[in-house]
Amino acid sequence: MARTTPTYTPFGKYALAIIVSFSLLISDINYQTFSTARGFVQATGIYGQLFINSFTINIKKFNAIYQDKQMLIKGNKGLKSELSILQNKIFLEKNSQVLANDLLNLHDETLALSRGEEALIFQIASFGLKNYLCCSSHSLYLKNPQKLQVAVNLPVANGDTFIGQTSSLDLNLIKVILFSDSAHILPVKIKNFFCNARGAGKPLLISCRVNKSSEFLKIQNNDPVLTSGLGGIFPRDIPIGKVININNSILNESEIIIALNVSPLKSNYFGVLVN
Amino acid sequence: MKLSLHFIIFITIFTGFWVDGLISQFNVREYLHLANNIPYLIETCIGFLIFCYWVYAMPEKLHSSAALMHGLIIDLCFGSAVGFHMLFFVSISYIIHVYVFRFRIFSYLQLIIFFGTASVFYLACKYLIFFPTNYSYLLLIFSFLINAGAWLPIYFGMRSFRRTFIK
Repeated sequence: MARTTPTYTPFGKYALAIIVSFSLLISDINYQTFSTARGFVQATGIYGQLFINSFTINIKKFNAIYQDKQMLIKGNKGLKSELSILQNKIFLEKNSQVLANDLLNLHDETLALSRGEEALIFQIASFGLKNYLCCSSHSLYLKNPQKLQVAVNLPVANGDTFIGQTSSLDLNLIKVILFSDSAHILPVKIKNFFCNARGAGKPLLISCRVNKSSEFLKIQNNDPVLTSGLGGIFPRDIPIGKVININNSILNESEIIIALNVSPLKSNYFGVLVN
Repeated sequence: MKLSLHFIIFITIFTGFWVDGLISQFNVREYLHLANNIPYLIETCIGFLIFCYWVYAMPEKLHSSAALMHGLIIDLCFGSAVGFHMLFFVSISYIIHVYVFRFRIFSYLQLIIFFGTASVFYLACKYLIFFPTNYSYLLLIFSFLINAGAWLPIYFGMRSFRRTFIK
């Protein structure tokens, strides 16, 4: 049984609402009208998550300290707790030493990639894992606690290779667009063959669509793929991946599928080459 | 309708979209070796179905302006293009409003088919507009089964929630 009687549904209001929302959608997709507002809300959300994480860690720390003190007051287990504190300290110092060494290595590798230019190391703030696994938009955010002015379109390194470039700066979080993003194009070199590799929209994959030429015919699977330096953003001759397949099923064209060397999921720190 | 009621409704819709995000991040390929080579097939529309439930349950209280505002806030919070959820919320709201009394004499199976189809249409438009390279019919078929299966738990769960918290 219906709880209420049928009422009139005003078509005019709904039509107006549909027109308004459709106009907003078209303007946002074509002209990025609301990208600033969207970036602001997303960055605020990430800051909220970071704040909650640090708050939770502090609560846990406080709880741990409180429990330790309770144990000390009881006295019976004093020596045991002291020993565990010492062990914890040694473990933390050892781990912080390992982390410091890792950071130094990353800094050295990034400096080697930068070829004399300045390089900065940033910690990851958020990774768009949902879109990375399912969809064609692949990006991550880096923390910038010192509020450094980082320009857009700077190369982002991970270990001894590149993974993407800076895209925007939202509330001091640096947005990085990855090579595998379908909107990203990277000029690459395979042997003596040059092409523009577009992100495939799938993790760790990029691809070149090319006309068949004599240089193209020399390309084989497992050939190393290097940056060509033609875009003016990335230094040339840096290995970024290897050819894994050549698809000749398209008329007059071929598609070279390239697998990237390094997964951005496996690192917490990334280097940015600053001009 | 009171603003607090709108807020409660929005919290449930927001939670639905948040759960959608969590489910999307779950990568079955990491846990199941056999699934290494299968494409991405799991895409739920729990948030969208929760919104449909509210319009279906309280059509006299949720009109075009409410659908527009809920859509706008969801667009801003979840980073999709502004206007996308607004458009779909207003459209589905209109359809449910027009046919609400007919829906109430539908069987559960008919409701499952209708809301499953609506969510797949929403999903198909989302992929065609934002991720055309990842669009696949296999994904839509799997999503239809998942979302159609999700309708009844959402319906009974939200009905129980409504009867408990909204008098």
